[in-house]
Amino acid sequence: MSKLNIKNLIKSFPSMDRPAVNNVNLDIESGELVAFLGPSGCGKTTILKMITGLFQPDSGDIILDEQSLLKIPTEKRGVVMVFQNYLLFPYMNVNENVGFALKMKGVDKNIIDQKVKEMLELVKLPDIGLRKPKQLSGGQQQRVALARALISNPRILLLDEPLSNLDAHLRDEMRDLIVTIQQKLKVTTIFVTHDQEEAVLLADKIALIFDGELQNFTSPKNYYEKPKNIKAAKFFGGVNFINAKKHNDNLSTNIGTVHYKGENYTDLNEDNIITIRPENIKLSKNNDFNDNSFKGLIKSVIFSGTHTRYKIIVNDLELECSLQSVGLQDIKTDDTIYVHLPSDKIWAMNE
Amino acid sequence: MGGERLKIILSLTPPLLIIFTLFFGGIFYGFLQSLGYQPAIGKYEINFSAYYNVMFSERYAKLFWTGLGLNLWVSFASTFLAAVFALFGALAIRKTFFAKTICNFIYSLNLPMPHLVVAVGIIFVFSQSGLLARLASQIGLIGSPGDFPVLVKDKYGLGIILAYIWKEAAFFFIILMSVLQSLGENFEELAQSLGANRWQRFRYVILPLVMPNLFSASIIVFAFSFGAYEVPALLGVIYPQMLPVMAFEFFLNPDLNARSEGMALSIIIAIIVMILVVFYFWLTQAKIRKD
Repeated sequence: MSKLNIKNLIKSFPSMDRPAVNNVNLDIESGELVAFLGPSGCGKTTILKMITGLFQPDSGDIILDEQSLLKIPTEKRGVVMVFQNYLLFPYMNVNENVGFALKMKGVDKNIIDQKVKEMLELVKLPDIGLRKPKQLSGGQQQRVALARALISNPRILLLDEPLSNLDAHLRDEMRDLIVTIQQKLKVTTIFVTHDQEEAVLLADKIALIFDGELQNFTSPKNYYEKPKNIKAAKFFGGVNFINAKKHNDNLSTNIGTVHYKGENYTDLNEDNIITIRPENIKLSKNNDFNDNSFKGLIKSVIFSGTHTRYKIIVNDLELECSLQSVGLQDIKTDDTIYVHLPSDKIWAMNE
Repeated sequence: MGGERLKIILSLTPPLLIIFTLFFGGIFYGFLQSLGYQPAIGKYEINFSAYYNVMFSERYAKLFWTGLGLNLWVSFASTFLAAVFALFGALAIRKTFFAKTICNFIYSLNLPMPHLVVAVGIIFVFSQSGLLARLASQIGLIGSPGDFPVLVKDKYGLGIILAYIWKEAAFFFIILMSVLQSLGENFEELAQSLGANRWQRFRYVILPLVMPNLFSASIIVFAFSFGAYEVPALLGVIYPQMLPVMAFEFFLNPDLNARSEGMALSIIIAIIVMILVVFYFWLTQAKIRKD
């Protein structure tokens, strides 16, 4: 179990007109499973490679258990990376691949054999030790790569897009396996992904990165309920954004005054932005709500099975609402409707 | 179905005829000569006496076996050293863009250079009257150019080995650079994160990954240097003499009877190279079956 602190990390490449990683700060607790989430080229793999020591940062520090890693060579950091394309050594069989790290440490062959057996049982592949990598499926190769990384008890385990090369059902299986193993071994784990769903399903915390800059580092739930900015909210499916101003402990907008209960009111700038998730908006043909209720017009209704999506115009502002289809009121396009934004479900943020 | 097959056979016949006539025809005629069949000088008897003479007669046996030893030594040493130099050269410069461009250019220039020109270059640089000897003498490392070690026209074939290293390292280098570039650095980075130090990454990752290509290239270089004539002719000594030079001298002999010995020697060289190639294919096939 190891604690990792990333301090003011900056890395530039000559071929890029902006830093690949720009002043990133992160504190990852022991045993946490953290996702680096962001679009391709946002700098997440670059951070991973700086943690392993394969890239040197231009400035900043990476501290593992109170000790800077920058002067420690990659092979002595105890930080093991599983690459996106598995990279099993093609000339070695599975046993040799899994035992590689221990062989490099000069561990006795009998101990290596025993540990390899344990690791292959851990990844649920006990009988394939003598096979060559090309005789394995993608999912099996991924498990072997994981076993090979775990055999030396790494202080930090890094997974680069661990599920991206797998098909849908293998992905579910592998996701469960990663979580199970991570919880069993309590190894601090960071994985890189561009898939928001994958990050939410796997991670204790998500570091959202855009253009080399850390946007937010918090739990998956907070990304949905309390995003830090519009970028973060949009990445997690946010579509409703209302310009607001602070006014007498509430927020004034062009659809009217919005009562706000968020704990961050004092941290808000004078000008800020309100967001609410489509599934948290309520609709009623009669004005059944006490506060934050605004009159609007249904612009479109899209039925998508379990849910129905509505686009509503409220005083020139378009809001999107998603309601469960079962037991729905009969709401049609061009109907006048009351839109309720529950004060405990709205979130304001500075932008 | 039958018509289709006939069509294929007929369309293949012209090129196959040319190949069989020129290549196998030549080999067959040479083989007949090695068996003593030379109608031009009235010899029609078929026997193995030329082979016996070359390998076991009092006159030629010593020449043959020392020549074979020298051939094997020169081919193995030059192939091995050229491969080693090229491997370390490629590893040293593959990450530096500028050096890579320069070296690629120099090595590419070396490739089309005839072996004969390289052999002459070796004489200019490494002989006792060459550039290095004069330079060493000028700066006082040796008393006179004559004190420079004998690297050209020496009995150990050092000059020949130097020429082959000079020439074949370029061939190895081009192959290795392309292999290393296609492999990228991910395997090494992975091994490094798994705890492998620099030597271990070379021993357990790079070497096994480049070995199949290095081995194939080595077979080609070995086969070439084993059967080549011009470099040993220019840089070798009269005794011991490499087998291709010896074979050529049999052909130059005014006594036409000696042609059978020359041809027997050529066939022996070809058989040794063929055994090596067959062994290589057997090894690679065995590895494929094992995998």
